[in-house]
Amino acid sequence: MSTDTQTNEIPFYSPQGNEESLFEHAYGNQLPVLLKGPTGSGKTRFISHMAAKLNVPLHTVSCHDDLTASDLVGRYLIGDGQTVWNDGPLTRAVRDGGICYLDEVVEARKDTTVVIHPLTDDRRILPVDRTGETLHAPDNFMLVVSYNPGYQSMMKGLKPSTRQRFISMSFNYLKPAQEQEVVEQETGIDAHMAKKLVAMANALRQLKDHDLEEGASTRLLVYTARLIKSGFDPVEACLAGLIEPLSDEDDVVSALMEVVYASFGK
Amino acid sequence: MEEHVGQIWDKLVTRLSDKSFKDSVVTLAQVSKPLGIFFRALGGDNALRIVESTATQHFAKRNWKHRVAGTGKYIELSWQDEDTLHLPKQINVFPDTDLNKDLYYWLAAVNAHTLENPSAKARGLQGWFAYSQQITVEVLQRFPGLQSRYDRLVNAYLQLRNIDEYFNEQEQSQEDAIAQALTKPGCVDQLPTSQYAPKPVLLWPHPNPPEVIDLSSRKKQPDNDAEGESEPSKPQQNKKENKRRNAERVDMPDGKDGLILHRFESIFGFSEFLNINRSTEDDDEADQDKADKNADDMDFLSVARDNQTKGGKIKFDLDLPAESIDEVVLESDILLPEWDYKKQIMQKDFCSVINYVHNTGEVGELPENLRRTAKKLRHQLEALTTKRVWHRHQTEGSELDLDAYINYMGERFSGHKVEQPDLYQQLRSTERDLSCLLLADFSLSTDTWLSNDARIIDVIRDSLFLFSESLRNTGDQFSIYGFSSRNRGHIRFNTLKTFEEKYNGIVRSRIQAIKPGFYTRMGAAIRYAAQKLEVQDTQQKLLLILTDGKPNDLDRYEGRYGVEDTRRAIHEAKAKGLQTFCITIDDQGGEYLPHIFGTNGFTIIRKPEHLPQKLPLLYANLTTNPS
Repeated sequence: MSTDTQTNEIPFYSPQGNEESLFEHAYGNQLPVLLKGPTGSGKTRFISHMAAKLNVPLHTVSCHDDLTASDLVGRYLIGDGQTVWNDGPLTRAVRDGGICYLDEVVEARKDTTVVIHPLTDDRRILPVDRTGETLHAPDNFMLVVSYNPGYQSMMKGLKPSTRQRFISMSFNYLKPAQEQEVVEQETGIDAHMAKKLVAMANALRQLKDHDLEEGASTRLLVYTARLIKSGFDPVEACLAGLIEPLSDEDDVVSALMEVVYASFGK
Repeated sequence: MEEHVGQIWDKLVTRLSDKSFKDSVVTLAQVSKPLGIFFRALGGDNALRIVESTATQHFAKRNWKHRVAGTGKYIELSWQDEDTLHLPKQINVFPDTDLNKDLYYWLAAVNAHTLENPSAKARGLQGWFAYSQQITVEVLQRFPGLQSRYDRLVNAYLQLRNIDEYFNEQEQSQEDAIAQALTKPGCVDQLPTSQYAPKPVLLWPHPNPPEVIDLSSRKKQPDNDAEGESEPSKPQQNKKENKRRNAERVDMPDGKDGLILHRFESIFGFSEFLNINRSTEDDDEADQDKADKNADDMDFLSVARDNQTKGGKIKFDLDLPAESIDEVVLESDILLPEWDYKKQIMQKDFCSVINYVHNTGEVGELPENLRRTAKKLRHQLEALTTKRVWHRHQTEGSELDLDAYINYMGERFSGHKVEQPDLYQQLRSTERDLSCLLLADFSLSTDTWLSNDARIIDVIRDSLFLFSESLRNTGDQFSIYGFSSRNRGHIRFNTLKTFEEKYNGIVRSRIQAIKPGFYTRMGAAIRYAAQKLEVQDTQQKLLLILTDGKPNDLDRYEGRYGVEDTRRAIHEAKAKGLQTFCITIDDQGGEYLPHIFGTNGFTIIRKPEHLPQKLPLLYANLTTNPS
């Protein structure tokens, strides 16, 4: 859980479509937003970009299996001879205003929906049972959740009743030319190499669902480009940055390396 | 003696003419898995299966050694048709193993690429010459890393290509043009003509790939529905050889009795399609191996189809389960769409499903031989039961977790600075909110005998019993259906247990009464099952599919058409928020299942007799939250 106080610098983000203006309108009308898309497709970056652009604090919560409602709302801690109330990140965001971003929200325990629901309709309230308070969200409060539709375990899914409370935006991998631009911009690598890397990532994405669970993300591409930029051997960098993270099976790894050789030579 | 000398001579000349390198051979079986991934990554179609190509005749001039030995007429090249990619069974043209392997990867890359300008793929020798150069240029442009590999292959290949060959002037200029086109692809426009066709180029695609049987041509010769052209068991079950044969489809001759050469057994020693009448009642069991061998020796097989079936099949038809009076139709004429991948359209109201229930009027008992296993499994699956247990070390709860509190206070008093641990305990039930629909394949292929005393259908029956026995106490909602089909208008959906019904003697008697039906039109069955499951009011909805083979039906629902439709149906189900998982006992399933169900969407049970025990455990694994 982290709260970013905004810096003057706005993080780089290359829009895929009209998502920036949609987000601004949603913010202006106090509508909650759901971001969906594969990992490493720019959801988190988009949020930090928008928070900086709108000049509001960003409270990020990475959801995990054991995240309960009280992790979000807050709890009493036992101090010296007394108990002290401690606000959770959601409560803090509602008190202070700003964007509260729940990353991978399906991972969280089911009881979290209880506190999310009243914040997502026109009441915009957060009842804190423990302290007996009912907090009303200020105008600059916005709830954003994200999830990865492809990456759900058998037992997890987003309930329709939760889905239908959000304005939804889909994120996908960028078009090759744009992705190349992003890789260049992020790492300062030369255009020729960036183009090769993007072509290779797109080749690997063709294998999604058939041979691999997930395609290579833009994030992995940026990491690989950084390794290459700092002087590491390109083929080795691809193995470490693009291939190994995608599969644990030896024969799949060696087959994917053939794709790398097809781009970089052997 | 003569024969002996002949054998020695044959060995000698064959060896003399054979230029391949035995020690450096690379077989397709060794490389097919990585090659498949490579092929798909470079843009090859996901749905294509990789198979060993048959040797095809090449019509080029042969050198004297080959002519003496009578070899060299055939060559294995690569090509693709709409559902297979054909690659040579083995490559041993180069003395170096790596080069042979490189050639496989190069062929995969060439076949994975589709031309930006497909009109270049003109027929004829000149078309092939231009096409091969263009595709080489485009592949190297897209994947510049292949250049060094290509150069090495071309160098080695050109050195070996013309050993022992003697050319006249015309032929020499032809060879020169090919060598130039290989070294610098795209630079030669025209191939000089000569009396013979040039020798095929191993690095290029097939100049005249064998024609594929057009399945749509069957339409012109419709099957007589009543005579269901069917086989009692799937003959490919015991065939390990993954080879496709060249075939052509010919018109049925006009003989009075008709001639059918549609099973390989019928072809004995002639390679020409002769218009002679043979009895269609020939029910001698021809030796499959012999027929295989004959088929291998032939350039292509001629296949014709008529409406006459062999007499022997009448017996089988009489065995078909008739709609008995016990069957109660629950719903009929349910119209469902079907996906046509060739036209890329959804054909509305294309299939018709009948949902029936087989009421025997008896109250069934669990078969004696399953009781012990059932008890064991029930015990193992107890973990799935929703029980209220104390969860300790919680951040909040109804009571203090004394152990944790004492530890914490102890550490604090001893002067340790510790973070506050989770000090409460809470009584909670493990959350499970799940419904599961089990869809079993009752197609005819399940009639096959696995061992002396069990058919596949018996294994499926046992599996259904143990599955239900194991789940009855867990609190998960489940339902069981079976399906089989005969053409798109007749898809039978057998209700064994609905979500609302309790698992009792009546359900048991229905499971006891299951029989193999007809074919496997899986797409429609999945769509209908998804409708049933979709309306369940649980958070998780799991669609389990139990099958023994590929989707197939009498009409064109087979091969890629069936696979693509099923894949589409699975995607639709996933879009509805259902989880799908396929359990199959088809050990060839690795080829097409990832395409339909995704990498982690299926499992293959190699020993079908283990299915009954494994199914409930698999279910437990699938539905247990690992955290």
